[in-house]
Amino acid sequence: MTIRTHKVAGVFMLDSHLATKGDALYGEKVFGEYRLWNPQRSKLAALLKKEENVPLRPEQIVLYLGAASGTTVSHLANIVSLVYAVEFAPRVARDLVRLSERLKNVVPLVADAVRPDYGHIVELVDFLYQDIAQPNQAEIAITNAEIFLKTGGYACVMIKARSIDVTAKPKAVYKREVKKLKEQLDIMCVHELEPFYKAHAAVIARLA
Amino acid sequence: MTIIKTWFGEIELRDDKIVCSNVLKTDTAALAVRLQKEEFADLDKQFRGRFREIAIHLHLVPSERDYISLLRAVAIQRAKEQITAAFAHPDTRIIQLIGGIDDIDESINFLSERLLEWDILEFEISRPRDITETHDPQSTTYPALKHEFAESIERLSELRKKISNAIEFEMHAIAPNLSSLAGELLGARLIARAGGLESLARMPASRIQVIGASKALFKHLQFGAKPPKHGLIFQHPLVRGSPLSKRGKIARTMAAKLAIAARLDFYSKKAHPELLAQMEKRVRELNKPQTRADIT
Repeated sequence: MTIRTHKVAGVFMLDSHLATKGDALYGEKVFGEYRLWNPQRSKLAALLKKEENVPLRPEQIVLYLGAASGTTVSHLANIVSLVYAVEFAPRVARDLVRLSERLKNVVPLVADAVRPDYGHIVELVDFLYQDIAQPNQAEIAITNAEIFLKTGGYACVMIKARSIDVTAKPKAVYKREVKKLKEQLDIMCVHELEPFYKAHAAVIARLA
Repeated sequence: MTIIKTWFGEIELRDDKIVCSNVLKTDTAALAVRLQKEEFADLDKQFRGRFREIAIHLHLVPSERDYISLLRAVAIQRAKEQITAAFAHPDTRIIQLIGGIDDIDESINFLSERLLEWDILEFEISRPRDITETHDPQSTTYPALKHEFAESIERLSELRKKISNAIEFEMHAIAPNLSSLAGELLGARLIARAGGLESLARMPASRIQVIGASKALFKHLQFGAKPPKHGLIFQHPLVRGSPLSKRGKIARTMAAKLAIAARLDFYSKKAHPELLAQMEKRVRELNKPQTRADIT
């Protein structure tokens, strides 16, 4: 097995498998100090597998909207300095809190990203990551970017075409959502997440 | 002069200098309680980048590392309280109870099919036959096992009855009108599918009409198939018992009444017995055979 570093510091490639360094937390496969990161279980892993130029850096503070049970959060926490993880649904937030108790740099927040009421808790962040399958997800990303994202900070929005409009072609949906994001953010690139995720795309943008 | 309210306290600034502050001690529980009780206004983006600096300046914490560890402890405490509160909501219990009923129904169907096969097998092997076969050791244990199998199904259906009583009890308390119009079990299923009584109360009637028919609905939206007439509300005797040609109209009427019932339940909790009579009257009218005079 060959181990090489990914362009994103903190991410490693074990042969063709993506991994981060840390304790196993949710039953993922482990090789020594490396935890494998399955691109079929995490959209961020799918993105990193397809594209190495993702503006994630070790010193960054991340605001993560739609943390769910924290699978992706746990790997992201191995890469960056601090993650504010927002999740609204109590059932999965329960798993997220349990995970946060084992990760020193995750702050769990049970809140609705649509109406951000965590303004008195979350500081300015360098990176906004959003994975919430909602029809108005672009608006939610913009609202949160305006409140929490540093000037020059990055946003990564995972678009699930099927949650926005099932009747339209996924490519048409991406285009529409990108247009909405463009009103407030500078779009850097758009990556489809095939074959790991069907009808999903990652948009990376920057707040000027 | 600006007052900024953060998770760790209130700070008054004049010309960017802290003039006054009310910062709590590093007491996780007290800080978590404050998060729940206080109202926090939006604050200016320029202060958002200074939380750590201010907290250290005010000697709340000695370092950035301690800032994060205190914040994390407070956030975990608060999140746990929010989760507990969400689970304590009666809707959550109803949703779980009705989920249990649906699982039991599915299991009983499965097990009953198996029991039938076992029955047939027992019937066939207990027929007169030659000696070697009657000495099959299975013949002694098989009926006993089958009996126990049948008893388990029996126990499941007793449990189902108990759960169903519990749902009736809970539904009368939180949704008297929905219970009277839809029946407790159907009402509970609607609440479960909507994700709570509040979401059901906020739904338009047209959506309530097709709850549980999402496959057909999306086939309609995506490929132009015929729209579904009814979803879960098909289970209601007034819909199911009506002639096919009238079901669409009846489902629509009922959905409208159910929407009103859900709203009454969520916003007032008072029972309105006249609602059921109104709905039944309207359904009777719709069910009357049309005469030539009605059409013209």
